[in-house]
Amino acid sequence: MTSNKTVSGNALLKCKLLVTVVDHRKEDFFMDYIQAHGANLQMTMRGEGTAKSEMLRMLGLTESEKTVLFSVVREDNVRALCDGLAEKFKTVKNGQGIAFTIPLSSVVGASVYRFLSNQKTGGTIT
Amino acid sequence: MSHSYECILCIVNAGFSDNVMDAAKSAGARGGTVLHARGTGAREAETFFGITVQEEKEIVMILVNAQIKADVLHALYHAVGLNTPGQGIAFSLPVDEVVGIEITVPKETK
Repeated sequence: MTSNKTVSGNALLKCKLLVTVVDHRKEDFFMDYIQAHGANLQMTMRGEGTAKSEMLRMLGLTESEKTVLFSVVREDNVRALCDGLAEKFKTVKNGQGIAFTIPLSSVVGASVYRFLSNQKTGGTIT
Repeated sequence: MSHSYECILCIVNAGFSDNVMDAAKSAGARGGTVLHARGTGAREAETFFGITVQEEKEIVMILVNAQIKADVLHALYHAVGLNTPGQGIAFSLPVDEVVGIEITVPKETK
């Protein structure tokens, strides 16, 4: 599914920061799914959801533990990944979440760029 | 009708995330995610200004429709800004794509 590209050097593909917020029980599931789409760097942290309903508030059940996942994804993988995430949010049990992308303006270091964009050196586009 | 979104990050002293969410909701935001963090400028503030700054922080991450972004930022400034006990700052990041939330169209105001 992921395209492990080698580029000839003309096209400089940009990277995006993908932020995914899901239930903490689904952290490993979504990390694996996003990695399968070519994200080499992911950072995960715990968060708390703030959306409350009055009923839950009265029962004291308003804590909803979340995992906030930061992943760096190449821009040409983003569309397919977001469509896939939307599908998982709807079909996976307890998998409801949101995801959005933020453009990265700079990356320092050619090897860092190749790592983040999942590209190997040299050769032609395959 | 623009459906573009912005990501607002509001960094406040720990314990003020409820104030942040109340202010954001009053301006039209739907919900947020609270992250716990630690600020790094405490020692300098103490040295240069003789004030103690609380280190433990909460970062509230709120995804909002671009049309209400300014309203939410203003509400946050008044409720938890630097001159309030929350001692907070807020800023927004551009967002390209969003999946997983319903599109809610803010009411048109005449």
